Amino acid sequence: MSTTIAPATTQVYQVYIRATPQQIWDAITTPEWTARYFHGARITVTADHYDSFSPDGDRWGDEAVLEFDPPRRLVHGWRSLYDPEMAAERSSRVTWEIEPQDGDYCLLTVVHDQLEGAPKTATSVAGQGWMGVLSNLKTLLETGTPLF
Amino acid sequence: MDDGAVFKALADPTRRHLLDRLFERDGRTLSELESDLDMTRFGVMKHLRILEAAGLVVARRSGREKLHYLNPVPIRLIHDRWIDKYTERHVSALAELKAELEDSA
Repeated sequence: MSTTIAPATTQVYQVYIRATPQQIWDAITTPEWTARYFHGARITVTADHYDSFSPDGDRWGDEAVLEFDPPRRLVHGWRSLYDPEMAAERSSRVTWEIEPQDGDYCLLTVVHDQLEGAPKTATSVAGQGWMGVLSNLKTLLETGTPLF
Repeated sequence: MDDGAVFKALADPTRRHLLDRLFERDGRTLSELESDLDMTRFGVMKHLRILEAAGLVVARRSGREKLHYLNPVPIRLIHDRWIDKYTERHVSALAELKAELEDSA
């Protein structure tokens, strides 16, 4: 089943994860973790920069970090360098919010916005994109093994 | 988080309609969402609260407006938990057959 509906320029995703804020933060910001659930990407986030490399060492992401507040809030730019057409689009923005809940879990919110100048990227990250990454992250943190 | 809340939220036709409206265009106000429903504002708010409690809709402030976004992750988790486990192979075979038949039509 296909759809011709225009992708949203602001996309919001939420998932409850049974983990501490620090565990989730580490899973988002260190390459040993991201390689296991984020399409194999080795992502390193510091207060200054967001770097992403493919398993073969190709550059997949090279972005400014706009907010860095461990282990609660991270905002960085987004440009999909793994695809030439998407790489030519304008930069968008990704915000991660980690909110501890009652009990031993957290609510993770990912907002991908400022996608007005990046329609192909918006389509790519919608649907299976973020949804797949986040459900994989949840499964990895809760069971120790990613889904795929 | 709770499969039961998601199944319950999806069990109502008005709530499925609201999700379809957000799928068509995400980030809508309550006024937009109630515009094509024959229902009071409070009725729509009640349905939105149930969708929010199930995690299927996320409300976020944008300036003076409160915008509602479709959050598809709980549906994906139900897919991973229920569809994958029991029927994925059959479903994908049928989906492929449908795609092939429709392509050749």
